Order: sequence, then structure tokens, then C-alpha cells
Amino acid sequence: MIDKQSRFEKLYHEFKILVYNVALNYLQNTEDAEEVTQDVFVKIYNSLDMFNQKSSYKTWIYRITINQCLDFLKQKNSQKRFFIFGKKSQNEQEYLNTTTFEHPGILLEQQEDAKILFEIINTLTENQKTAFLLSKLDGLSNPEIAEMMQLSISSVESLIFRAKNSLKEKLADKFSIYRKKLK
Amino acid sequence: MEKENWIENILNSTNGIMQVTPSENMFSKIQQKINKQNKLSDKTVWLVAASIAVLVLLNFTVLLTKTKESKTSTTIYFENTLNQSNQLYQ
Repeated sequence: MIDKQSRFEKLYHEFKILVYNVALNYLQNTEDAEEVTQDVFVKIYNSLDMFNQKSSYKTWIYRITINQCLDFLKQKNSQKRFFIFGKKSQNEQEYLNTTTFEHPGILLEQQEDAKILFEIINTLTENQKTAFLLSKLDGLSNPEIAEMMQLSISSVESLIFRAKNSLKEKLADKFSIYRKKLK
Repeated sequence: MEKENWIENILNSTNGIMQVTPSENMFSKIQQKINKQNKLSDKTVWLVAASIAVLVLLNFTVLLTKTKESKTSTTIYFENTLNQSNQLYQ
């Protein structure tokens, strides 16, 4: 019991920043990221004895964090849809209020642009969003992302490529709105 | 050209992003959640054990009552059917 507790504390101190930042990038809300971080570590504690070491702790924890973020978003979306009668959005992420998100790790002069980027990232598919965030914000390599998402490296490359193209297309659409605001 | 530059700026807006440290009381909140779930699971175990004990006791009581009733009715039957003169053969 003592051994489990000390292992857990060691894991917490080693990975707390990783988990919190992944959650923050994914959920784009500080309170939600804190809640999910707590849930992730409770899950880690509960599963610690069953960890079979087929992957590294880092990969395992990344997976738990991403899955927890996805579950959190699904729960949040289903709660919001309950109050919107008959409306079925083409994209789940429309429901997320992300336009006001100011990421605490981004420089002040880049905040406005980053807000737009985060808003557009939320329109990507789940896998595209995951692959893009892990690559762009977490700086993981494609093999690392492939191991984390349990996909082939070529699949990850394809996801990131499609994510970038999708983002560029949507930003191109947004540009005209941006120009009108300036005038 | 302006559009491409704008798009590039947006895509690069997260370059140099800094990692954020969670609040200092995060660990104690996690520990509280773990302790709470452990307490709940102990409670559940006691509840289940108590329910089983009650069920066993109830079954035992019913069984006991039925056995008594059965003995009583057998006695009554014999009393009623026994020949008043105690003659087994008539």
C-alpha cells in the first residue's frame, strides 16, 4: 500500500504538467482542464496495479488523458444538446464556447490569433484534432503519436496532413470576415 | 498574399507556447477524491454484508416457523385420528 502510494506520488510529480497541458489544449478551459487532470490521476491510481508495462508510463498516461478529455467533451455536449430542441449540429464542437479562451501559456501579443486557431481546431474530427494537437502543441514525433493513438505512422501523417489542410481552408473562409471587421 | 500571411500567422500563433503548471493544491484534491472513493467502497461492502446477514436471518426465521407449524399440525392430526380406546385394531 505504501509502495503504491509512493509510486503514485512519483508519477504525479513527473507527469502533472503533461496531463494538465494536454487537457488544457484539448478542452480550452482552465476549470475543465483541472477537473479532468484530477480524474486522470484518480484513474491512474486505480489502474496502477494493473499496468502491464507493455508501453511506457508516458504513453499510457497520454492515452488516459486523451480518452478522459474525449469522454468529458461527449458528456458536456450531450448536456448542452438536451437544452437545444431539435437542433442537430454538423459538428459536435460547435457547442463548445472557445472563442474567449485565453491560453495562459501563450504570449499576450499572440492571444487573439491563438483564439482563432483554437476555435478552428475544434471543428476538426476527433482523430485529426488529437494528432494535430499532439504534434503542434506537445511537439510529439509521428512515431510517438502513432504509439499513443495505436495507429500506424502513415495514418498519423495522413491525419496531420488532412488536419492542416482543413484548418487552412477554414481559415481562408474566416479571412473574409476578418477583412470586413477591419474596414 | 495577405490572406496567406494571415493564415500562416494564425497557424504559428502557438509557436513558443509555454507549459502551464497546475495549481499547488491539485494533489490534495486528487487525494481527497481517492480517499472518498475508498470510503464509499468500504461502505458498500458493509451494506452488502449486512443485507446478506438480514436475508439469512429472515430465511432462518421462516424455516424455523414453518418447522414448528409442521410439528404442531402433525400432532393435531395424530390426536384426531387416534382411537379413543387406544385400540389399534378394531
